[in-house]
Amino acid sequence: MAPVDIADSVPYSERPEWSDLTPVAQYENIQPLAPIFYNPDYKDATDYFRGVVKTGELSPRVLDLTETIIRLNPAHYSAWQYRYQTLIATKSSLADELILTNELTRIYLKTYQVWHHRRLLLTLLNDPLPELPFIEEILKVDVKNYHTWSYRQWLLAHYNREDMWVQELPLVERLLEEDVRNNSAWHHRFFVVFERGGADGEDTVRQELAFVKEKIALAPNNLSAWNYLRGILDHKHLPYSTQADFTKLYVVSSIALNEESVVDLENPRPSKGAQLPSAAAIEFLADVYEAEGESGLSKAVELWRSLADEHDTIRKKYWEYRIREATVAAPD
Amino acid sequence: MAPTTLLIDKHVRYIQDLGKHTDSLAYHLTAHLRINAVYWGLVALCVMGHPDALDHDDTLAYVMSCWDDDAGAFGAHPGHDAHIHATLSAIQILAIHDALDRVDVPRVTAYILALQQPSGVFAGDAFGETDTRFLYIAVNALALLGQLDRLDKDKTVGYIRQCANFDGGFGSVAGAESHAAQVFVCTAALAILDRLDVVDVPSLGWWLAERQMASGGLNGRPEKLEDVCYSFWVLSSMSILNKMTWIDADKLIEFILSAQDPEGGGISDRPENMVDVFHTQFGVAGLSLLGYPGLQDLDPVYCMPASVIDRMGLRKGWKALPRRPL
Ligand SMILES: [Zn+2]
Repeated sequence: MAPVDIADSVPYSERPEWSDLTPVAQYENIQPLAPIFYNPDYKDATDYFRGVVKTGELSPRVLDLTETIIRLNPAHYSAWQYRYQTLIATKSSLADELILTNELTRIYLKTYQVWHHRRLLLTLLNDPLPELPFIEEILKVDVKNYHTWSYRQWLLAHYNREDMWVQELPLVERLLEEDVRNNSAWHHRFFVVFERGGADGEDTVRQELAFVKEKIALAPNNLSAWNYLRGILDHKHLPYSTQADFTKLYVVSSIALNEESVVDLENPRPSKGAQLPSAAAIEFLADVYEAEGESGLSKAVELWRSLADEHDTIRKKYWEYRIREATVAAPD
Repeated sequence: MAPTTLLIDKHVRYIQDLGKHTDSLAYHLTAHLRINAVYWGLVALCVMGHPDALDHDDTLAYVMSCWDDDAGAFGAHPGHDAHIHATLSAIQILAIHDALDRVDVPRVTAYILALQQPSGVFAGDAFGETDTRFLYIAVNALALLGQLDRLDKDKTVGYIRQCANFDGGFGSVAGAESHAAQVFVCTAALAILDRLDVVDVPSLGWWLAERQMASGGLNGRPEKLEDVCYSFWVLSSMSILNKMTWIDADKLIEFILSAQDPEGGGISDRPENMVDVFHTQFGVAGLSLLGYPGLQDLDPVYCMPASVIDRMGLRKGWKALPRRPL
């Protein structure tokens, strides 16, 4: 995030149109920890900004000044806040401001403030539809950016419009096509399908199970997809045992592809070359056995052992904890 | 070769020198975090057993110079507008120095409470940005000031509930993806409010354990890179849930130590990157929770020296790994 070079621009202290304003230096009447030597451009602009705040001026030139500061330091929350107040007070075009904000969003997408400013503008403009393709464009720069995603989720929840919601699954599918391990996209899918209420009937569940299993087949060690599978089952209170046949295909070290020629759509097989066994599948199947009670316990313990000793050794202590918890009789 | 022990002397010097490079542009661009940086540096120094490495009087004078008398709270630097994050850092620094009597408690309490939104979440300042980080900051600050009774706890907990996700984690706002830093702020806020019953402990404990990568380091979300700061976000949450024994402590210690700068001191986000005080503090904090020898205890709930929180009688039921002998 390189600050924009404003070396060519005239300092505010040399601009005749600003000569009426008294700049206020930082640390007036204050004993700092150490002497301060400022970057001259930034010092110049922020001195005038403090001067503006002191007089309470809300005028078009303040928009220019705050833009300069924001371009030098997009995390300057007071400059953003004062800019917003000025926009409202001067009845400036918010549509124009959104165009400027588009540019600033592209440059400073990791800064909270630029997204919050955008949200304030949208709340007044009330035109959310063009936001969706804009956000998708921004996601191309950083596909897991937290601010970008939470802004999109805010838009959807805030406006709650069918013509917006329908765009979401195609977006998620495009992104998972590019990277099946994109956890942000998986989270968004859950948000869209299960958290808006109403639209998660039996058909949806069947469709989502098919979708996630197909993606697990592509990359059997993808935690995001396994979490999604568990998420569906937990959300709909379905037992994990409903997925035991599917999971068993992923706990073996290799799979004989000619073993079964009939394609089972319910239980897609690991793709060719997939890394097996999948630790996430072993864990899932162990949960299935554990839920069976005493009869499944030894099978569950065997699977946990294999995780502790071979397939997930970094979490050895966790798997040993699971074995202890499940096998220790007489809870207190 | 990567360092294999904690270079305490180098880190103490690094933190002491932070305020001296004031002619760099980077110094000014981070002015909005200055008081936070003093807090991070001070906590790291306390944990490393050098609480007096920053001058007591200078530090307190600096904190008080950040007071924004119009707002009735602290800004990030003298002359800066008040912000809830800066306000917490000021309170934390003063608490460490046992100097909370300098705070105008009624005004600061009013400032914080006024930032709570109808949904229960808190805004960070008058600009209105909301986030569970600010909610935690409010809860932490009110607890340190002894003003928690003034908070609408049910409303606050209600918002945290809205941020709970299907994977057991928490996001920054309702609907947002689970993220280790947001898991920390929600879990720690619930701990302070004595409402850990809200947490799905088996799911969240497992989600946290899953953050450890083959390198030993922790990441903040599935399929993302490991980073030293998650040593704090993840471990503090695990210690609050009493699940610290679920991770491979030796490998994580090795990872944190390998991110030190053996020449100039300081710790970076991962080996070979530039150090900063933020990652230095969170690296040292993580090591303390892992029982690294010779360090002081860190209270993960408040991210403060445990001795300070114990003195104030605010300790909650967290559990770190036992301190290893030197
Ligand atoms: Zn980090």
